[in-house]
Amino acid sequence: MSNVWLLYMGFAAVLLFAGLYCLLTMRNLIKLFIGVEVIGKAVTLGIIATGATKNSILTAQALAVTFIVVEVCVVATALAIIINVYRHTKSLDIRKLTQLKG
Amino acid sequence: MMALQIGLLCGLVVFSLLAVLLRDILKAAISLAVASLLLGILFFRLDAPYAGAFEISVVAGLITVLFVVTIALTKAEGGVHESRAAAWIFPLFFVVFLVIDFLVMRRLIGQVASLPAPAEAGTFGQVLWKGRTFDLIAQVGVIFAGVFAVLALFRKRSKHE
Amino acid sequence: MIFLFIALPLVVAGILPLIGKISPRLLPDILANAVFAALLAIALFAGPSLIGQGAGLQPFMFLGEPLGIHLALDGFSLFMLAAISLVGLCIGLFSVDYMEHYGHKAAYYALLLIMFAGMNGLVLVTDFFQIYLFLEVAAIASYALVAYGLGHEELEASFKYLMLSAVSSAFIVISVTLLFGLTGSLDFGAVSQALRGLNQPLASGVCAALFIMGFGLKAALIPFHAWLPDAHPSAPAPISAALSGLLIKVSGIYALTRIFLKVFGLTPALSNILMILGAVSMVVAAFLALGQKDIKRMLAYSSISQVGYIVLGIGLGTPLGILGGLFHLLNHALAKSLLFLNSGSIQMAAGTRNLEEMNGLSKKMPVTAATTLVGSLSIAGVPPLNGFWSKLIIVVALVQAKRFGFALAAILASVLTLWYYLIIQRRAFFNKPDEKWRDVREAPFLMTTATVVLALLCIVIGIFFTATISTWIEPARDALAGGLQVIQSSIGIQ
Repeated sequence: MSNVWLLYMGFAAVLLFAGLYCLLTMRNLIKLFIGVEVIGKAVTLGIIATGATKNSILTAQALAVTFIVVEVCVVATALAIIINVYRHTKSLDIRKLTQLKG
Repeated sequence: MMALQIGLLCGLVVFSLLAVLLRDILKAAISLAVASLLLGILFFRLDAPYAGAFEISVVAGLITVLFVVTIALTKAEGGVHESRAAAWIFPLFFVVFLVIDFLVMRRLIGQVASLPAPAEAGTFGQVLWKGRTFDLIAQVGVIFAGVFAVLALFRKRSKHE
Repeated sequence: MIFLFIALPLVVAGILPLIGKISPRLLPDILANAVFAALLAIALFAGPSLIGQGAGLQPFMFLGEPLGIHLALDGFSLFMLAAISLVGLCIGLFSVDYMEHYGHKAAYYALLLIMFAGMNGLVLVTDFFQIYLFLEVAAIASYALVAYGLGHEELEASFKYLMLSAVSSAFIVISVTLLFGLTGSLDFGAVSQALRGLNQPLASGVCAALFIMGFGLKAALIPFHAWLPDAHPSAPAPISAALSGLLIKVSGIYALTRIFLKVFGLTPALSNILMILGAVSMVVAAFLALGQKDIKRMLAYSSISQVGYIVLGIGLGTPLGILGGLFHLLNHALAKSLLFLNSGSIQMAAGTRNLEEMNGLSKKMPVTAATTLVGSLSIAGVPPLNGFWSKLIIVVALVQAKRFGFALAAILASVLTLWYYLIIQRRAFFNKPDEKWRDVREAPFLMTTATVVLALLCIVIGIFFTATISTWIEPARDALAGGLQVIQSSIGIQ
């Protein structure tokens, strides 16, 4: 079953790449967060595919469900921060966030 | 059997790419929801009904609602102009990455040895509640953290400010 | 007993908002500090005996059935728990007066307690996925705490922090998934055994690389440091102290150390990568700190630099190197929290963080000036303060291992450290008092108490450093080095 596992991992890697590309090139704050969500999909796919091909689907489901709960909490926090940023700058452009110089 | 799953995986990738590349943020959020839906169906095919149900109801449902609410609350004047270059050079990078990904995975076929997992007994509920009990406590912590974070970020400003 | 470290802060955090409705200030103050004090007492007095009984794994029963909760307490976890609770108590005391003008104290303390519950949990678990979960508990609470002031700067810093932290968490959980696929297990011991049995250098190399990226981002080692100089200065002062003093160490260094020394085994290649990352962070961040005008940004860069020392010592992998790294971890946690708290006192009294604007505050704020001096000299490594001994141990370990280049870098970085801390002292405190500081007064009693406690600890640990090492650091080192020998003897040093 190892080869099927590799197939799924290959697809998860594509999703990971798409998410990272989004984080590196986009400017809209919400769009950046969609990038994080795409990475999250790669992770859930990886967990379930691992469980399905390695015959441990029950544990994998437990992990995936937990991961989804964590994801929701991160999304809620991030969107709350984005709304607060919008109240200050009236814009969602990452280029307006330049007060601090990394 | 496998063909359907590969079809679902390809659809997942296509809609994720749409979510990344679409200019209109609302359409991007909806593409993301469709991608989650396909992922959820894939989970059902992979014999993971609980994860599939969670993926569809929570990620495709709840998170999309949160995104749409945020988009509605932040209707920016004029919107944000994404750089055109980012969308134009994407196919180039993407194809290069696909080739690398394909070559690496082909190289690895038959190379990765792994140990079989110990056999699982019982139902999903038993595994979750008995085997992964501590995850549930950590989940309580995560949910507390999320709730208090949102409460703190939307609190009324004090007189000081 | 050990379970209290996670359960007590979580439960109190859950009831705090309800209590906040009855009494918005007093009760949350008392409850939060009582939790920190209770945990500190357990760690200091009950902890050593729990290890002494050989209570390695603590099984839990509920209604006669065993639960799947495995917590492990060894010397290393106990050492971290004691450091977390100690600094936590000082931060809690400092927050009583400092957080007064931010409002909504109950929510603040709830988030603070959740962050500490996350850190305590991370230190106690024995399972890869739970490491990720508790990491995320602490991280989500810290995003909100960084943005707690709700100003433009805070929100910007918090957003950047959140994005990079989410990516690092994703790397970590992907690596955990790969390990799960390879070994079919998530438990530290089982994974470690399985990895040795599998002997797959490529696959475990990929996992190790993902872990280094993930935890390197959390610990802000140099190529991955971009978020820290924004996030730590923007947060309220007690939170800066908690993040710089504890969170980067627990979620970055503790996890790295635990995973690489106990599970993967420290191969020479891995050791070299860690040492190079550490040395680069140490030197580059010290140069970057020299150019800062904002006191908190300077302290933030200094944190990156000192984390470099710790990683250098632990990455060396000899018993003496690990000892020095762990001792420096404790010393830096104490001294850096002290300095960040003092920067908060200065900001509250004088209303500025710019080093060029503060002149001669020492007359007006004698306690703050004195404790800042102690903290600065401790981090800069001036004898007989605690920072000197830990840096000395690291340099001696490097020389013993014949790594002279790294030893030279460590000495160079410590000279730079002394230099920029002298800049802080000269600009902020030693000059003639400025006219505009006529109305500046010393910080309130509880705030100075917190800083004086930390400063006294710096001095006492410096004087009785042998006693500290033998009671706290050596058990921690032995917990790690024991596993190290087992792994080295079984794979052999390549």
